[in-house]
Amino acid sequence: MTALVRQLGSTTSRLIEGLGRIGNFALALTAALPKPPTRFGFFIRALYDAGVLSVALICLSGFTVGMVLGLQLYTTLTRFGAEEGLGAVVGLSLVRELGPVVTGLLVTGRAGSAITAEIGAMKATEQLDGLRMMAINPIHFVAMPRALALTVAMPLLNALFIVFSIAGAYAIGVSLQGLDGGVFLSGLESAVRFTDDVDQSLLKSLVFGMLLGLVATYKGHACQPDAAGVARATTSTVVTASVCILLADYVITALWSV
Amino acid sequence: MVSDSDARFIEIENVRLAFGSRRVFDSLDCRLRKGGTHLLLGGSGTGKSTMLRMIGGLQRPDSGEVRVAGENLASKSESELGEIRKGIGMLFQNGALLDSMSVADNVGLPLREHTKQSRDEIHERVAEVLRSVGLLADVEPLLPRELSGGMLRRVAFARAIVMQPEIVLCDEPFSGLDPLNVTRIEELLMTLNRELGLTIVVTSHHMASSLRMADQMILLRDGGCITGTPEELADHDDADVKEFLGEDGRAYLARLHELQDRGEA
Repeated sequence: MTALVRQLGSTTSRLIEGLGRIGNFALALTAALPKPPTRFGFFIRALYDAGVLSVALICLSGFTVGMVLGLQLYTTLTRFGAEEGLGAVVGLSLVRELGPVVTGLLVTGRAGSAITAEIGAMKATEQLDGLRMMAINPIHFVAMPRALALTVAMPLLNALFIVFSIAGAYAIGVSLQGLDGGVFLSGLESAVRFTDDVDQSLLKSLVFGMLLGLVATYKGHACQPDAAGVARATTSTVVTASVCILLADYVITALWSV
Repeated sequence: MVSDSDARFIEIENVRLAFGSRRVFDSLDCRLRKGGTHLLLGGSGTGKSTMLRMIGGLQRPDSGEVRVAGENLASKSESELGEIRKGIGMLFQNGALLDSMSVADNVGLPLREHTKQSRDEIHERVAEVLRSVGLLADVEPLLPRELSGGMLRRVAFARAIVMQPEIVLCDEPFSGLDPLNVTRIEELLMTLNRELGLTIVVTSHHMASSLRMADQMILLRDGGCITGTPEELADHDDADVKEFLGEDGRAYLARLHELQDRGEA
């Protein structure tokens, strides 16, 4: 019993310590944002790595998800004689939920893990200490441009994912199943409202980008400086960021509905 | 005559440090003179690199004080440490060059960050400092991964001295270098020390070069240290000291002593 209580206390204390560290890191990251120099070149490069290099994955995944969604929903809606509602259902589910969440998870796996591994490798090879010895703040030089790039890239990739998913659903529903194209598009247009659904989608992806930027850069900075430590940090980024994205999705959805 | 503040330019006082259950320093006391060349000796795990990191403010001791030019590093914030570090150049054991940047960008980085020098002035200074470590302009566009181990260390050394710091900390500066470049780096360190009065702290297992350069030797052992001039350590009775200097080291020092007595060295 005593051992159990001790174990619980130790786990809680580690959890609180971890939250304190990530909180401090978030403050340092925010404080680094307005400080000169702007690191614009590093930001563009990070945006290319996290955003442009993810475009093919996002487009392909988006189109595939759209095709599956089109097929499943068409079959289900046909049972109730409501196949004309395909455009509306596809549009709402993609814009409100699937777009930001699936994009967030895909970018976590592709770009977030890469950022953690890169920063972790820099730590293991003393490059971050080298920067500190040159009186250069590694959070400003390394973490800030990458976290900002993820925050900017996520809403853009989300928009791309949604467009390609709708195209996938259109291809299945209209070209394969024979639904009228005008019906699909008018259903989509009337159901999805910019001020409510698209705004929510953009807000979600922006928050997911910020969360991923924080988790990916923090895990890289905080990892054990060896190969096993970098591997653990990379895995931890994917798990932590994915859970954070799903939790944040619920919180934003709940608050938006109030 | 060395003033008291110069004699205590770098001061390590009653420092204790442990990594988990492994004790590294237990009441370490040591003073390094301004403008001196100090050699850190000791077996693996005795804390040579850790001592360099403490002087650079990268490692805080568990207790005790590390003072550089009178400033206690343990009580400084990271931004205050940044100001102190502008006067310190450090050569890391594996170079620690930024692998996404070219040689020229790596060496010129401290100049771009902390000076208002123009692009041309920075380029000129980078070329000059690379020449001083025996590297030609054709290495400037290369990435660190395209360099040999010896070239990488020389580029890292060039970056450590490009700002003309007051203190240069070198972790194994001669490892992986051919004899020609060992001599080149050794001469460069001695020139910087002689002409610019740089304080140099070196860890090295390259005994001949170290003995030629050092005017103070610090042997780390059992969480503390034994310090003295090379001649003092050569005459030391301690078995660890004799083992570290080795036959070659003691013979070299005896020969040097002889030449000094005859006024030839």
